[in-house]
Amino acid sequence: MLASALAFCLSAAAQQTASSSAQQLQSYDLRREVSLVGKVVKFDAASGVAPMGAHVLVQTGSGQVDVHLGNAKVLQSSHFELNPGDSVRIVGENLAFSGGTIFAARVVQKGNQAVIVRNEKGAPKIVGGTLSPEQTEALRGVR
Amino acid sequence: MKRLLLVLASAAALWSAACSSGGGTTVLPPPAGKFSNSSLNGTYAFVSNGEVATSGGTGVLARTGSFTADGSGGIMAGGVEDTVTQSGTGTLVNPDLTITGGGYSVGADGRGSLTLNISGLSPTTITFGIVLTSTGGGLLIDETFTNTQASTGSGNFFKQTTADFTNPVLPTVATYVFDFFGLDGTGAPASLVGEFTAGSGSVSAGFEDVNDNFTLTNGNIAAGGTLVADPAAPATLTSNGRGLATIAGEQYYFYVVDTTRIRFISISGGVMLTGDAVVQTNPPASLSNGFAFLVAGSSALGGLTRAGRFSANGTAVTNVLVDTNNNGSFVQTSGATQASVTMDPANPGRGTVTFLGNGLGTPFTFVFYLSSATSGVIQETTQANGLVAAVADGTIGGQTGNPFSSSNITGTYALNWTGLSLQSGVADEEDVVGQVTASNLALTGAADIFQFQNVNGPQTDNAVTGSILFNGGDGTGGDGKRSTMAVTLTKNGQATTVNFVVYFINPQLALFANTSTSSTRIVAGALELQP
Repeated sequence: MLASALAFCLSAAAQQTASSSAQQLQSYDLRREVSLVGKVVKFDAASGVAPMGAHVLVQTGSGQVDVHLGNAKVLQSSHFELNPGDSVRIVGENLAFSGGTIFAARVVQKGNQAVIVRNEKGAPKIVGGTLSPEQTEALRGVR
Repeated sequence: MKRLLLVLASAAALWSAACSSGGGTTVLPPPAGKFSNSSLNGTYAFVSNGEVATSGGTGVLARTGSFTADGSGGIMAGGVEDTVTQSGTGTLVNPDLTITGGGYSVGADGRGSLTLNISGLSPTTITFGIVLTSTGGGLLIDETFTNTQASTGSGNFFKQTTADFTNPVLPTVATYVFDFFGLDGTGAPASLVGEFTAGSGSVSAGFEDVNDNFTLTNGNIAAGGTLVADPAAPATLTSNGRGLATIAGEQYYFYVVDTTRIRFISISGGVMLTGDAVVQTNPPASLSNGFAFLVAGSSALGGLTRAGRFSANGTAVTNVLVDTNNNGSFVQTSGATQASVTMDPANPGRGTVTFLGNGLGTPFTFVFYLSSATSGVIQETTQANGLVAAVADGTIGGQTGNPFSSSNITGTYALNWTGLSLQSGVADEEDVVGQVTASNLALTGAADIFQFQNVNGPQTDNAVTGSILFNGGDGTGGDGKRSTMAVTLTKNGQATTVNFVVYFINPQLALFANTSTSSTRIVAGALELQP
């Protein structure tokens, strides 16, 4: 259940059409961003539930929120782990998806470490982490 | 499929160099067909887009190059390749890599493998699974899996006309329609479609539509562009048709296939774009045809595919079907209102199409550039509340030869799909290349699949079975009845079935996208009839 503070304010009359349209057409809008604070209940690098990618279930003061984190490999390459009980702060917004909504994260923070998983236009990052000079040199050898 | 799902490709596979190469044994019947090693004979320009993992770094990978096959299983020295990788640290261009030799095999069904030996740093060999669509080219997937590099991706190759490796480049002035897709310098998805006039080594004018990180712009391509020999490797122009292009301020390496097709890979500004420019011939001033299309790219939720079709008659648009896979949410839209198509008199072949799908509150919009009356490129420009919905582009084709049925959808087809699938606990790139025989709408054949998380590497020689179903219609009649396709890959007793919606452009070419409503896969691809 999504926290009521994060819910969209759609009129009942517009709900059906907007929901159907939005799941195909909705865009990420920085002006809608909110901050979500809570504890990790469960982390899935590749959830069996759409949208494809990493999901984290977060217990907030208003209930549990399913958060889409984008590409799990961006987290992995940043050596960022999420475990049950971890306190997290997630910046993102609700997007209509598959008849409901999904909280799409842009930034996920645990302690002093924060990882950007979407850019400011909402595009999930597909490359992440900072490579060492040795790793960069290895890429220079790509044929 | 012209447009690949580069933005679906993720970068950081946890591939281990210690893992052994794999495979296993699947006994397939001897392939039937008319191909052999002699079918691959001459110089070919190739591209692939995917991802790479080395012992240290990982990234997204684009490669473009040229190799020469000797017609008897050997790759001759003298080829060249350019690669571009983008990682969390930035973009690396590895230019002018020399192909020193290699080998290949082509079975009777046109399937086979291709290895290219590259000079310099390891690995010295890159490997592709291939299928010929004719002696003029084919489809490929990157199957490189050595102890220093694993790379995957989908692409294709075209036979080059070496007589067209001229200097100045492109002696005859002509208009070319292009589609460049990939990542901008920040790693965000980017799509450029347009047209330019080129000849005698110059790019003199043009117009383009750009979607860079969900921001749409369009406008003239300034004169002053060039297509010249690469000053760092001038001999590659005459040996492989390779040179250096400057178009709209961006630099590219290019490969001349012939005077009708040029291949590009960007090398400036950290940008990672690849694509082809195809000569424009008699673009229509108005449309009176059915068109099928497939775009692929990224939404705010991840990978996105949109396949569909519409009928155009003047400015009227009817019989609209759209199938959207938005990172695991599959939605079908049948019929539309507020539908129209407009051709741009100032830029021949350029047009826009819009339609409000039934049940939706926001219209779909697209811009397209036709290189002929029945083929072109298309970019999605849909906006909701002033915000761009996706960065996606792909192929549009005029539907001819319909109705499609078992009587004309028959014969052997090359098959390729690419995208993401759920593998070993993460979503990662999946590429498939194969060949199927369609008979009474049943499919049989063989294919390679490379799921990048597979520690055993690419899985070759899967048995393929499946079917095409026209569901009482062929998808062109606007009756809401789509054509579907099911493909099952089987190896060592393990079977995977993927369901698709399929749109035939003509009996020789079909575009398809999977219909999964779970988060297990988002892929799209093409069927191309073999001769």
